[in-house]
Amino acid sequence: MQAFLQQVVSGIAIGGIFASLALALVLIYNAMGLVNFAQGEMAMLATFVAYALISRGMSYWIAFPVTLVLAFGGGVVIQRVVIRPVERAPILTLVIITLGLATLLNGLAGFMFGYVPRSFPSAFSAQTIDLLGVFISYRDLGVIVVSGLVLLAVYLLLQHTTVGLTLRAAAHHPEASRLLGVQVSWMLGLGWGLAAAVGAVSGIMVAPILLLEPNMMQSIIIYAFAAAVLGGIESPLGAVVGGLTVGVTVNLAGAYIPFVGGDLQLAVGLAIIIVVLIIRPNGLFGRAATRRV
Amino acid sequence: MTALLEMEAVHAGYGQTSVLHGVSLSVPDGSVVSLLGANGAGKTTTLRAITGGVRWTGDIRFGGRSLRRMSTEDVVRGGIAHVPEGRGILTELTVDENLRLGSHLRRDTKEVRKDYDRVFEYFPVLKERRGLSASTLSGGEQQMLALARAFLMKPRLMLLDEPSLGLAPMIVRSIFEIIRSINQSSRVTVLLVEQNARIALDLSTRAYVLEVGRVAVEGESEELQGKESVRRSYLGY
Repeated sequence: MQAFLQQVVSGIAIGGIFASLALALVLIYNAMGLVNFAQGEMAMLATFVAYALISRGMSYWIAFPVTLVLAFGGGVVIQRVVIRPVERAPILTLVIITLGLATLLNGLAGFMFGYVPRSFPSAFSAQTIDLLGVFISYRDLGVIVVSGLVLLAVYLLLQHTTVGLTLRAAAHHPEASRLLGVQVSWMLGLGWGLAAAVGAVSGIMVAPILLLEPNMMQSIIIYAFAAAVLGGIESPLGAVVGGLTVGVTVNLAGAYIPFVGGDLQLAVGLAIIIVVLIIRPNGLFGRAATRRV
Repeated sequence: MTALLEMEAVHAGYGQTSVLHGVSLSVPDGSVVSLLGANGAGKTTTLRAITGGVRWTGDIRFGGRSLRRMSTEDVVRGGIAHVPEGRGILTELTVDENLRLGSHLRRDTKEVRKDYDRVFEYFPVLKERRGLSASTLSGGEQQMLALARAFLMKPRLMLLDEPSLGLAPMIVRSIFEIIRSINQSSRVTVLLVEQNARIALDLSTRAYVLEVGRVAVEGESEELQGKESVRRSYLGY
């Protein structure tokens, strides 16, 4: 039982990481109906930025917010420079562009930092504490707290600020929003910036576990897709619930299903995507798909 | 009275199809002007040209300034509230959030609060439903919400696209009463597009009748109501 609970807790920790990246996907999907295949690579590049700052002597807790700000700016720039000129193109074109962007960012990171995995510092010690008989590492606890705070911040921004209100308005009804004076195009830029910053959190949190290298996020993005699809791709709350569910499921499957082990965990993530799409294509929190004419 | 809005020989259309063939009209400051005509005459396109929702040539001036090449957002921020065809309600959001989008650019907090009180006086039902999703409102209530939201933008000019569409006659009457009151007590100029010529002419001082993208008849509302030939051939009553 104790071992089981420990697996659940570390599943929640890794799930918080999936949730952050899934939320980044949902933010852009909501804004423009586009699945951003470059989200993982954007997070990876941001993590390299954090690495560069920390290895130049900046303290972790200063480098962290600085990286988020830089990631935000980078996201806005990508939207203005790469996405905006093709905003009205068919969605498939946009998808191909995000795939190209992913390759580009991956190559850029490889060119600048090389492909040798580097250890990335964690702000939390690997020691464990005893919580009612369950041993939890400070590292897991820290990841849960940081992810939780980030998700809460995004929730408050979206639901309780004027900027959040206009972001949601522009995402759902661009034409009607324009008539209310909402600058829809800038809202898209803001959405990309926000997504980049939230995604960067997942990169920084996962880097101490996986070691930092340009391909670090390629498995994480699959889990994030699974989480977003499970949550219903357009629901921020769904992304969080989906992320935690996928994290716990994958962790338990790895621990208790003998043939899964560590090798087939990614397959579990993919299986979740397929099963959700077959049984409940709108996910847990998605509305039934309707098309406006 | 000086003209708040002037259109001069405006041509507009969608892609290869042109809809307006040189529309000229003038909306005096503080007035209510009706824009009438059959389906497809170009009424909605005229409004969309004003707020930049469709490409146009010619000239449109608002408060003396040309609106040429201005984005929809900038036209709206300049003081024009456009309640579009279909009302433009954001159904994913609550009633309150829709209203807040109306006032979100205003910095005169005190005045905004007063305007909310006014809005809830006009439409008590919106106060009751503030927290509910806008998608739960009936057609009449959605029209009220659209009008309330436009009022909260504190515009100098309101463009209303068929506020009577699909509503019961009693609700239409009360909504038109409120439009009249918004015009008179808040000095908001109104350009009103309507199929229901009778009720529109009762409210407006001046009217234009469009026919296939051109102004076919224009004049004082009273005068048009009096001319049987005009009523029969253009207004259908």
